[in-house]
Amino acid sequence: MLTARYLERRVIYLFITFFIAVSINFFLPRLIPGNPVFTILLSRYGNQIKPQYLQLIESELNLRGTLWQQYVGYMSSLFLHGYLGVSFYYYPATVSSIIFSHLPWTLFLLGTATLLSVFIGVSIATYIGWRLGGKADSLISSISIGLGSLPFFWLGLIFQIVFGLMIVIDGQHLFPIAHAFSASVYPGLTFSFISSVLYHSALPIITLVLISFPGFTLLMRNTISTIINDDYVQMARAKGLRTWRIKKMYVNRNARLPIATSVALAFGSIVGGAFLVEVVFSYPGIGYMLYNAVTTSDFPLIDGIFLMITITVIIANFIVDLLYAILDPRVVLE
Amino acid sequence: MNETGFAVPDVASPPPVMKKRSPLLEFVISVWRNSKGKVGAIIYLVMIAIAIYGRFFPPYSPTDVQFSAYAPPSYAHILGTNYVGEDVFSQFVYGSSVSLMVGFTVALATMVIGTIAGISAGFLGKLTDDVIMRVVDILLVIPGFPLLVILSAYLPPTIWSTILILSILSWPFHARVIRSQTLTIRRRSFVLSSKLSGLGNFRIIVRDLIPNMLPIIFINSIFVVVGAIVAQAGLAFFGLGNINSINWGTMLYWFYNEDGILFRAWWWLIPPGVGIMLLGIGANLLSNAVSEVSGTKRQY
Repeated sequence: MLTARYLERRVIYLFITFFIAVSINFFLPRLIPGNPVFTILLSRYGNQIKPQYLQLIESELNLRGTLWQQYVGYMSSLFLHGYLGVSFYYYPATVSSIIFSHLPWTLFLLGTATLLSVFIGVSIATYIGWRLGGKADSLISSISIGLGSLPFFWLGLIFQIVFGLMIVIDGQHLFPIAHAFSASVYPGLTFSFISSVLYHSALPIITLVLISFPGFTLLMRNTISTIINDDYVQMARAKGLRTWRIKKMYVNRNARLPIATSVALAFGSIVGGAFLVEVVFSYPGIGYMLYNAVTTSDFPLIDGIFLMITITVIIANFIVDLLYAILDPRVVLE
Repeated sequence: MNETGFAVPDVASPPPVMKKRSPLLEFVISVWRNSKGKVGAIIYLVMIAIAIYGRFFPPYSPTDVQFSAYAPPSYAHILGTNYVGEDVFSQFVYGSSVSLMVGFTVALATMVIGTIAGISAGFLGKLTDDVIMRVVDILLVIPGFPLLVILSAYLPPTIWSTILILSILSWPFHARVIRSQTLTIRRRSFVLSSKLSGLGNFRIIVRDLIPNMLPIIFINSIFVVVGAIVAQAGLAFFGLGNINSINWGTMLYWFYNEDGILFRAWWWLIPPGVGIMLLGIGANLLSNAVSEVSGTKRQY
């Protein structure tokens, strides 16, 4: 159940977090002595810039006036015009246009991987949660622990070597190791394009899912092992309810609740994984763009990508919070 | 037995002499007796030994480039060589010291900051609690890796910048766990009796709270060690931090950037990942053993 008060608190919280992310973006370059953005521009193009244009660049980078004036200018251009600056490397493209053309790829990877991880994690946990201490339980738990502690990009690189290069069937590699779709298809709602996209996203998504699902499996397995001994489950057993009914209505429903909170936290870590996996597979999402921005010291693009992905995660968290309130009426009462 | 029904010790006979061990030592011994705990502890002891002493006995210098490049494993180079002909095994051994140093330093800083913040929030309550928990909530929501990237991009590229950033970002989760522990423990009767006997807040925290939290502090810190090593590797892979320092992260950075994939140099790729995975498995085993022995659960 959702109450107006709960909703109000979550919305206020959403805005505070958003405001802080924006402020980090504003203050970070200005707190470092000798603004790195300005330094890099000067060191790269210093001899080509005529002195009379320096002021123009300063105002373009919003570096003129007192800190407070800069802050107001930054906030107003961001909120009123959605302006995030101009990329150094892809000049004259604006940061927001670059981000919006690449964000969909990242959302596709993130969304698919998160949903699959939760689904697989929960399914496996409901299976082994009822066979605690058995062979399947210890086998799956050990595999989960091993998989879950691997770095995302390392597994991606291994898959590239094994499935992208080493295994060759009929003179063809099993999976592509780079890009989001093959160069021979045109983007559009055609069968060949969609199948090419799915084919290219297979290895990145498998990498993300294999490392993300163990967390959900272990969490739900442990929750089930606690709930099984709870009084109300004993009571249900004692009054002779059938096992499937106890499982479905009493245990699994409750054991899924902690998953909902951990999805919000895990989403943040899957973002990091997706960024790294995009780099490994040269996948054109904003993680790959962030990597390019870091290697070319394209500071406006770095800042913009950080802001956009933070907003995405904050909104995702907000939605999860609302869903959680619907799933578990008790949270609203806190 | 006397008329009250209680056994009264004979005053004349000396009290039974027992070997009194400290509770901490007792605890360590019982974790070691646990089979999971033993395997986990051995993994960590071996890794730490390699990190500390390994650099004195490597087969070659990790920066020696006189060998042929991309040589697969052989008797002379048990893990082959990399793109300039450096011995991968020597790099792995040498790099483990930097990676583990990052992990343990970050864990130490996280424990100090997180424990102080968590106990202050839980014990002092009111405004302190509100302020600390709002900061924690906000830091937990902002996605960690992009925040790491943007901070590293602006700070000077040294390994200490990386350690500083990781420490700043990993304490909130620990603080939240410690706060909820503080809230439960402070209601227990032994804290009340300390309070009634006139102990100050500081002594209650040091003598009652912290000893009871040691298991959860240990469980959290061992996962911070692994988390920090993985995060540092991820940053290094992005070319952030000092990429010329030899550690497991930079080994993977150079593997990716020098086309280790096209040379199919699996011998160069596998060791750092396996090192990290072993630490992860060891952390899980140790934390399971500690929670079995102490009855504390790992919190997510």
